[in-house]
Amino acid sequence: MAYEEPITDYDHIVENCTCAFCGSNCDDLDFLVKGNHVVGVRHACRLGASKIMEDEDQRLKVPMMRDENGELQEVDWDTALDAAAELIANSVRPLFYGWSETSIECMKKGLKLTEYVGAVIDNQATICHGPTVQAVQNVGYPLMTLGEVKNRADMVVYTGSNPMNAHPRHLARYSVFPRGWFRQRGRFDRTLVTWDPKFSDTAKMSDIWVPFEENGDYGFCNAIRAVLKGKELKEDVISGIPKQDIIDLTESMKNVEFGALFFGLGLTHTLSKQRNIDIAIQLVQDLNAYTKWVLLPMRGHFNVNGFNIYMAYEMGFPYGVDFCRGYPRYMIGETTTVDLLNRKEPDVFLVIAADPGAHFPGGANMHLANIPVIQIDIHWGPSTELADIVLPGTFIGVETAGTSYRMDSVPIHMKSAIDPPETCREDEWIVNELYERVKKIKEEAK
Amino acid sequence: MKTITLTLKKFSSIALEFEELIPDTVYNWSKEDFENYQVPIGNTRFPLTNYFDIEVEGDAEGPEDVKMILDGDMSRVKYIGYRMTAGEIIVNGDADLQAGAEMIGGSLKINGNAESYVGREMRGGSIEVMGNVREYCGTSYIGEWRGMSGGVIKVHGNAGKQLADCMSGGEIYIGGSCDILAGIHMTKGYIEIGGDVTRWPGGQMKNGTIVIKGKLSSLLEGFENEGIFVDPDIEGKQLTGKYIKYKGDIGVNGKGSLWLNAEKNRNLL
Ligand code: SF4
Repeated sequence: MAYEEPITDYDHIVENCTCAFCGSNCDDLDFLVKGNHVVGVRHACRLGASKIMEDEDQRLKVPMMRDENGELQEVDWDTALDAAAELIANSVRPLFYGWSETSIECMKKGLKLTEYVGAVIDNQATICHGPTVQAVQNVGYPLMTLGEVKNRADMVVYTGSNPMNAHPRHLARYSVFPRGWFRQRGRFDRTLVTWDPKFSDTAKMSDIWVPFEENGDYGFCNAIRAVLKGKELKEDVISGIPKQDIIDLTESMKNVEFGALFFGLGLTHTLSKQRNIDIAIQLVQDLNAYTKWVLLPMRGHFNVNGFNIYMAYEMGFPYGVDFCRGYPRYMIGETTTVDLLNRKEPDVFLVIAADPGAHFPGGANMHLANIPVIQIDIHWGPSTELADIVLPGTFIGVETAGTSYRMDSVPIHMKSAIDPPETCREDEWIVNELYERVKKIKEEAK
Repeated sequence: MKTITLTLKKFSSIALEFEELIPDTVYNWSKEDFENYQVPIGNTRFPLTNYFDIEVEGDAEGPEDVKMILDGDMSRVKYIGYRMTAGEIIVNGDADLQAGAEMIGGSLKINGNAESYVGREMRGGSIEVMGNVREYCGTSYIGEWRGMSGGVIKVHGNAGKQLADCMSGGEIYIGGSCDILAGIHMTKGYIEIGGDVTRWPGGQMKNGTIVIKGKLSSLLEGFENEGIFVDPDIEGKQLTGKYIKYKGDIGVNGKGSLWLNAEKNRNLL
């Protein structure tokens, strides 16, 4: 990596800003600001810093609508908002998806709109940690805060996730490297374990790497549980791991003072989905008969957890909540976004702070290409290509303040450091404006 | 006896919800009542006559005298027979999600395939599916730890993933093969699978019975061999042939029994 000169050309520093990228929500960043631009970011990892700084080139700056040739053309805010409200007011099966990269304050307005029109509201959990949420509903949540891990953990296990690439400061700030109250020597006082079929960057720096075979997670966890219950394993190799290694691993997991298991999409989206998490949670419960163990999902977007917490608090269900009958319903496969799109049910799709164009399976996107799509976002992306109406929002944590929830469910206030572009509007304002306009259309129709 | 025939004339890609059209509510409806009925579709209601031709014959004193026939492709008609307590529903075609969910009594027959959640949290009555069922047949509501607790589900084709999770009673018969984790978390009840099973039946089961007559590809470590039995009598059901009996899942101190056909699973002998 080439050496980069430190940035010295800036007007002032805004301290203690929060990174609006991954679920680690690092809230110790310093933004170097010059002429209403963030020209440098201190303390962030490369992912976070590049999102915050190199933001300008693909920024959506003006409201747009497709003309008769199918090209996006600039329009004024009133025209775009009225057209979007018209679509929503007249739809039979509207679906409002996204929300994970915006503030809780905006979600609040979104929920009001959803309830009013009888739509489905869903977030990225539907394609990432949804199975985790289901498993938590089934068997509980042996949760901690990341501060506890920092101060106490002497064994940290990552499975189905590669934080060195996806949550780069996770190990440095919370789990492995920092010196904690009971772990004064930091990294030297902790054992780092990775269970992953791949020799990932996290596995490379781990003390123990357990490469169980793909889709072998359920069988592997089941075997550890059986060993914990005193059973002798009958197969020589289980899920690709020799019997003795499983016994040794179980023994060392029993003999730590405080263990933390972090898991990612590698666990939630292999063969047994929510049942992988279900058995991992029960494994952690079993281990608590011997010592203290906790577990936490490695949430992706900075507020994907926030949406689940907010929805569960307000409506009793964490994601994929369907209001079409006037009351909330939640059923995986029935009220979840990708399933609805595959079944070709939605007739209007509103996407806010998400990129289904890049993340959804082809079949789901095919349906999006056939129905009106309204996009509220700050960047041009594959979803903009699918959108018929584009409403440019503002950048939470940089241009607009807001609340988010870190992966361990700690709420964090994200402050603003610079002013948003004059032609953009806050997400919260846009969603509220849609609500007011839809309400007006519906009331006039009565 | 009252026979109600609904014949599909227009397919809606947005699903119709049929939980109000069960014998319990419609036994005293005339043809006009059906013609005036608005069926929920998405966030709106539309006249049932937009989608169905309706015929009503005969009279009924109660739901038990009702026979409802749904003709055509019902693959976008959800909640057929939801919470019904008596009477009979026959679907001549495929059925959509939640067919027979929370059913209490009566019978539902699907002469085609069914989508996921057939007989979810069923308490009584019977469901027969001539084709295949998809995932989560006879399961619990998400987060609920009690699934199907009574009644009988008979599937002539194959079953998808996580059949009967958290089952706490009742009987399920699958004629064909079955995907992963059949009977996961089950606490009571009887599951019989005629064909092959991919992996891990009975994961974390506490009690209950699973019988597999075909080949099992992968058994969990949490099961302990209890020997071979010839022509066993399992919960009053006489099986023929040799069966290997396992007890599990040890991970949860389970006392469930898993029976595997010995001939088809010689590798485990
Ligand atoms: S680890 Fe995540 S939250 Fe922290 S700076 Fe990097 S991208 Fe941002």
